[in-house]
Amino acid sequence: MNILGISAHYHDSAAALVVDGVPACAVQEERLSRHKGDAAFPLMAVEACLQQTGIEPDELDAVVFYERPMLKFDRVLTCSLRAFPQSWRAFPKAMKNLLGEKVWMRGIISSHLGVPGRKILFTEHHQSHAATAFLTAPTRHAAIMTADAVGEWATLSVGDGERQSNGPTRIRRFREIRFPHSLGMLYSTFTAYLGFKVNEDEYKVMGLAAYGRPTMLEQVRRVIHSTPDGAFALDLDYFEFHTTAERSYSSRFVDLLGPPRRPYEPIDLSTAEGRRFADCAASVQLVLEDTLVELARALQRETGLTDLCLGGGVALNGVANARLLAESGFERIFVPPAPGDAGCAIGAALYCDRIHFGNPDRDLPDHPFWGPAVDGSELARLAREDGHFAEELQDGALIDQVADDLAADRIVGWMEGALEFGPRALGHRSIFAAPHTAEMRDRLNREIKYREPFRPFAPVVPIEAATRYFDIPEGGVRLARFMSGVFPVRKEWRSQLGAITHVDGTARVQVLEASMAPRLHALLGAYGQRTGIPVLLNTSFNLAGEPIVNRAVEGYSTFLRCKIDVLVAGGTRLRKRTSTMENTQSERTKEQVA
Amino acid sequence: MLMMDSARSHERSTVFDRMLAPVHRWIWSDANRRVQKLFRFGETETDGGRDILRAAEVTSDPLLRRLYLEHAIDEFRHGVLFRHRAAALLKASTSRSTPGFKGEWLAPGGHGLDDLQVDGESDCDMLAFLHLSEKAAASRFSIYRDVMEHDLPTRAIFEEILHDETFHMNYTLTQLVRVEPQRHSRHLWRARLSRLWKAYLRLATGLAGILGSTLLTIQYFVLLPPFAWLARRAARRERCGWTIVSSERSNSLERQY
Repeated sequence: MNILGISAHYHDSAAALVVDGVPACAVQEERLSRHKGDAAFPLMAVEACLQQTGIEPDELDAVVFYERPMLKFDRVLTCSLRAFPQSWRAFPKAMKNLLGEKVWMRGIISSHLGVPGRKILFTEHHQSHAATAFLTAPTRHAAIMTADAVGEWATLSVGDGERQSNGPTRIRRFREIRFPHSLGMLYSTFTAYLGFKVNEDEYKVMGLAAYGRPTMLEQVRRVIHSTPDGAFALDLDYFEFHTTAERSYSSRFVDLLGPPRRPYEPIDLSTAEGRRFADCAASVQLVLEDTLVELARALQRETGLTDLCLGGGVALNGVANARLLAESGFERIFVPPAPGDAGCAIGAALYCDRIHFGNPDRDLPDHPFWGPAVDGSELARLAREDGHFAEELQDGALIDQVADDLAADRIVGWMEGALEFGPRALGHRSIFAAPHTAEMRDRLNREIKYREPFRPFAPVVPIEAATRYFDIPEGGVRLARFMSGVFPVRKEWRSQLGAITHVDGTARVQVLEASMAPRLHALLGAYGQRTGIPVLLNTSFNLAGEPIVNRAVEGYSTFLRCKIDVLVAGGTRLRKRTSTMENTQSERTKEQVA
Repeated sequence: MLMMDSARSHERSTVFDRMLAPVHRWIWSDANRRVQKLFRFGETETDGGRDILRAAEVTSDPLLRRLYLEHAIDEFRHGVLFRHRAAALLKASTSRSTPGFKGEWLAPGGHGLDDLQVDGESDCDMLAFLHLSEKAAASRFSIYRDVMEHDLPTRAIFEEILHDETFHMNYTLTQLVRVEPQRHSRHLWRARLSRLWKAYLRLATGLAGILGSTLLTIQYFVLLPPFAWLARRAARRERCGWTIVSSERSNSLERQY
């Protein structure tokens, strides 16, 4: 049975193809269209999925959209009516936006793929999140919590899931919290207030929080409070996201917390204003964590289960996830590699397979590598055409060579196998560097990633050595599999892991099992033999404002535009012979034209 | 040499742009407007850079790949120049307000503004399109430079960018002639018509948008008040906290509700 899942039109659209109960391909549209956060209908992603599996559109048994468009329309219209007449500016925009395209999903899918309307199905947004979190996790029976900004009406839901090997699957949602009361919207509002991009830069707030102290806790607790039934509610006088499209916080919010930060103004942590913003980030981060912990504790008491599957964009908050693990009572927490909306494509398809069609449960491969594979020979060809020398090496020689590069403080762009699905680079489209000094962190920030100095870099460590360098609690290894938890770097190693140790002594570590990425595991081993520490700095292979690279040509163009020293694609290795390779090439090109 | 002369002649603005010089002068005279426009230019240049970068990644011509890459790097740098200048002006300004009129419709018709499907374009079409875009942007930037006597650092940025535009105009035309020696003029004409068509589409979409917004706003105030009253009454009865999810609600995947 071939089921295509689609997520689109809000942010980060994606497609996933499930064949006989197992994902065969899943890819975000941005990785193919090369527009970061591309929300358009994921036509290229769909084509990639079909091409990779050799399936024609008429062989699809179902196409599942990850939410119910009419229910979403109902929410937008109702909120506009409730906010009358303040919503007069937002109303035409919202109607044009929804009625212009988004509510006609059945017709759109049908016209793009040529499949009959009866084959097009719809799951609920949080149902898709729940399915992504539960059905991709190696657990049989778990509590499920999903939290994001908003789906149709739900912003957070709790429930449980149970599946039997080769048997039936059940996913239940007990209850939900509805818009406008939303943890995701709360965090996004603070993201906007702190001058970052909503739906994109929430992780910057988390990074900034480590530099502050929660001195504004009292103020933040005024905008969100607990309800008698154990949920939470926002004080809507402090918000405007539910009434206008222009601003998410109200003047009262500004009166409470002070003037917002203007985008483009750098955050200078040595000034009182910079520290105020960091304190503000720390305060909202703590409130988010406290609220999630309370909700999860209640869920644990209610279900008595030991496993929790966490989905939705809020599950990308690694600091909160680590606290959930420590304080909620759950022994294991499963966060999928793509817990956000993109991941819903896979969840919707799996939900359709297991629940709608009632197909028996199947164990799924426990990795994030569902995208197109990289072709090393493409890099060799490009290098040859540009007059550079690229070596084509066998695995062992390549790993030795790259380990030498890293030990010599060279920065390596690394592309192998299938592309990751989700926002994290987990070893197939990564930039690796030596993790030992703060200078390396600054160099990466300055010369490659061009990003704010307060943002940390993540490490990758083999599972065998993880607890030696990081203080990972029991169950934490699972959370760290897809870089979903933030854990302390052991004190004795912090001075030797300066590039990946955040200001508060933590790191968003990836713990790598050899079976998930054997070549990277071998590289960590080889690097450990040379330096004594088998840990590498692992950051996504992209430049600021660009999506993670997919094909070798994209890696190559990135390599030429920044100060990455070595590029590896498959078995091909290319090294910048001099630090001025870009300049030389530039001069030569201009000469040729002249 | 001939090419260089032709390019230099485009560092001068077109008659139409020169006619609009007083309007441009007025728009750029306000510091807040200047900041907004510079930020917008920064975004446009960066978007254009991404499009050209994509062109570098999809072309099969190694020389074009290198040239596009150079071009993209220039555009990214222009974006940074604009953003840094805007940020500097913003820092110097005391006002936190945004001007009501931003003069967006007068923004240069650079490639960042067009809906460019780079993956589907041939090298010839891409080169012709880029050549004309660079030419139009150079003409507009030269008038901006000329009206910027009161802000020398911003003027210097336009000056620097104009210098790059000369290279971009040159190479796109030279390469178009190389890639398509017989029919390059035809490609240029087709690109001109395509730009005209896209301009018409932008105008038509803009007008349709205004019309649609007006009609929806009228409906909002005429038809919605009773429903708004009902919706607010219903909202008052809604209680905060948990809502139970009934097991029947999500049973059918066939409905969109």
